[in-house]
Amino acid sequence: MMRHRAAVAACLVLAAPCVAVAHGPTRQKLELSVEIAAPPAKIWAVIGNFHDLSWVPAVAHVEGPGGNDPDSAKRDVTLKSGGAWTAEELSDYDAAKMTYGTFLPHVDVKVLPVADFSTHLSVTAEAGGISKVEWRSAFYRGFPNNNPPPELNEAAAVKAVTAFCQPALDGLKAKLESGH
Amino acid sequence: MLLAACMALPRAAPAAEAFITDQDGNAVTVLDLATRQTVATIPVAGKPAGIAMTGDGRRAYVTSPSTQTVSVIDTAARRVIGHFAAPGGPLGIAVHPSGSPVYVADWYTDQVMVIAPASGRIIGRITVGQSPSGLAVTPDGRLLVVADRMSDAVSVVDTASLKEVARVGVGAHPFGLAIDRAGRRVYTADVESNSVSVVDLVTHTKLGSIKVGKRPYVVALDGPHGFVTNELASTVTVFDVRTLAKIATVPVGDYPEGMQASADGRFVYVSNWDSNTVSIIDAQSLSVVGTMGAGSSPRAFGTFIR
Repeated sequence: MMRHRAAVAACLVLAAPCVAVAHGPTRQKLELSVEIAAPPAKIWAVIGNFHDLSWVPAVAHVEGPGGNDPDSAKRDVTLKSGGAWTAEELSDYDAAKMTYGTFLPHVDVKVLPVADFSTHLSVTAEAGGISKVEWRSAFYRGFPNNNPPPELNEAAAVKAVTAFCQPALDGLKAKLESGH
Repeated sequence: MLLAACMALPRAAPAAEAFITDQDGNAVTVLDLATRQTVATIPVAGKPAGIAMTGDGRRAYVTSPSTQTVSVIDTAARRVIGHFAAPGGPLGIAVHPSGSPVYVADWYTDQVMVIAPASGRIIGRITVGQSPSGLAVTPDGRLLVVADRMSDAVSVVDTASLKEVARVGVGAHPFGLAIDRAGRRVYTADVESNSVSVVDLVTHTKLGSIKVGKRPYVVALDGPHGFVTNELASTVTVFDVRTLAKIATVPVGDYPEGMQASADGRFVYVSNWDSNTVSIIDAQSLSVVGTMGAGSSPRAFGTFIR
């Protein structure tokens, strides 16, 4: 638990009263999207399974129980970098609206420098045969106390989540528009 | 003395307004609740989050965790008239029914700061549980109740002595809380156990709990009904405060957070952090009857209606 060690170290250095808290006070919001010249159903067929992240370049492997049932589904995600997280939850799932939400209560900040990481993925039809894929995220910085080091501040968290999501959206567009 | 003279002048009753803290907008958006329009945007630096409205509606105190300050808003003039230093992680905030003092929770410690609004000075500190979050004062002003997020408890504090007189266990990671009009019960939103806990403020016992939606955040009370925002479910759960039975689930915007009932009890206003909107729930039909635009990432954590 790197995060806790870092927090304890900060307490000692500052010699101030301080407790290990869950996260910082300001949640970050990141909204990424891509427009794809393909029908929504065709896109949803690729991304609409909670246990299939083969469309996300950073991910090597996903496994877990519960299918697409928000009451029981969980997934363990292994990254190509070697990092991993476990017990990511499916917070909601609506195939008719082509949307699902996730929530990751705990992740090693060396893998992803965030806390309380949630996402919403959705596909909507736009005009002219275009679909919009939206991947919205909400998260706190990786450092739970005041005065975060640069690698665990808000900017680092936004950068890391962008690096996870954006290539996936770009890759999805390239794949679907090339006819595969 | 001039100030006292001005305050003694009679004034027309203001239209009901909501003061919504917009965390990413670094502002407080003022919504006219009759016309449902934005009537002012007040710049407030430092990622404003918490808010406490005085009983007379003349002042709003806003916490800014990034600048570690509390901003004082003159609600009629719709502008910031001063700042208090609140070192640490100021987030939850409440004001005594008499108008003074102001209580500010330090998210990073086990302390609640007691600030005299006349001087802006910290005149006391109250030791409570870990990571104090939501604060509320009983209508008679005798008790301050604190949600101790990392201690899974509420602290009951005597406002005269500034001492914790009881600590009562609730669900996991309570964040927001609300006290009933009788000052008899407090209801907490237990973020990590997806429940609302009910605590008796006289016997200092937990009376029960209600299963609600995912990541409950803030509780509001309105007559026979309790309301809780469920962040990850994008809903508000409505429950019966007497039987503690669940009555309805109302879809609102995404990441609903701060919530409060209007003074007349007709509506409940919900700020949706992710959708940048405020949902209006009709307290009779228990359905959304309108949506107002807010600023960027509205939180409105506390009392925000005058």
